[in-house]
Amino acid sequence: MHCTMDEMLAVRDGEGSARAKAHVEQCERCQVEMDLIARRAAALRALPVRRPPRDRWLVVRGQALAERRHARLARFGWGSVAVAAGLALAVGLRGVEFSGRDDRPAALVAEAAAGSAIDDLVAQSQQLEAALRAYGPDGRVMSGRAASLVAELEDRIALVDQGIARVRAVNGSREQLVNLWRDRVLLMEGLVNTHVTRASYVGF
Amino acid sequence: MTVLRANVGVIGVLDDIAIERAKAGHLDALERVYRAYEGMVYALARRVCKTAEDAEDVMQETFLEVCRSIGSFRGEGPGSLTAWVKRVAANKALMRVRREKYREADEFSEDGPNAGRRAPDVALQLDLEVALSRLSDTSRAVVWLHDVEGYTHEDIAEMMDRTVSFSKSQLARAHTRLRGWLGGE
Repeated sequence: MHCTMDEMLAVRDGEGSARAKAHVEQCERCQVEMDLIARRAAALRALPVRRPPRDRWLVVRGQALAERRHARLARFGWGSVAVAAGLALAVGLRGVEFSGRDDRPAALVAEAAAGSAIDDLVAQSQQLEAALRAYGPDGRVMSGRAASLVAELEDRIALVDQGIARVRAVNGSREQLVNLWRDRVLLMEGLVNTHVTRASYVGF
Repeated sequence: MTVLRANVGVIGVLDDIAIERAKAGHLDALERVYRAYEGMVYALARRVCKTAEDAEDVMQETFLEVCRSIGSFRGEGPGSLTAWVKRVAANKALMRVRREKYREADEFSEDGPNAGRRAPDVALQLDLEVALSRLSDTSRAVVWLHDVEGYTHEDIAEMMDRTVSFSKSQLARAHTRLRGWLGGE
């Protein structure tokens, strides 16, 4: 009885039974099949190597950077947002006290309005961050163009964050903070929209 | 069979310093890793996956995983990095095969109604490329990873989350099919 394909492959890989090995040694037909197996494997190895049609590095780079930013945000981001909100509130309250002592009701109203606007914008930004996290962008694949757009938006958000930190560090005006937080909300909206409309789920 | 398909060009491109910089997350070094291995990864993915689009996605997922995990790579030298990257690629490709659950629509499928009915003497003289593409996704993946890339059945079983016997039987089925379609070659 001739060897099965399983037996011949096992013999080829040095795992065959003694019976199969002995049979192959003396059976011309099985030797032909063994030779065909070897030739098939050689032909497979000789198939031309296919080259990637497109460069995906920019996409990979964009996604890797986005993951790093998300990881940083997960570690430090909410603390920073809380600190920013706390500072904004403190600045607002201090402004209220200061304005009150100076007896400038118009300025007090303006300062209070700015503080309230900052609170609203921080809350909007937090909601957008939460929406993005819930959407799970890490588990999705996107085109190179979309990834570039995401990377650009994230870079701009990072710049805005630096601006917010600078304004806070020098006790800058609340008007500046309002403008920066407004920019941040707009950029976050753009980021969420880009993810939602241009990514496709691949899972892990 | 433990020697993986050689990619000699890679060895000369990456040095230990570049690898250490890549492990530290430097993007320029990670790009060098990408440039060194993109051809190898795509070639493997393209043979395992059914479509070029899937292979491109596998390549993207592979290098994203490399960017994420290269910091935990404990091997030394470009040779072991080659094996590590290839292993990541094989895992991603097999995940894709499992996830997509391609339909075995062609009439030559092992699991199709005509399975085993085509005698060698009436075998279609199909081109090897075509024959390979007509194998079931699992059989194609196993025959490529074992006979070309040099993975053992134990490796393949682990990557596919199946048994060694499963890997061996898939290899035998692949060779039986190829034998039938290609005849005496």
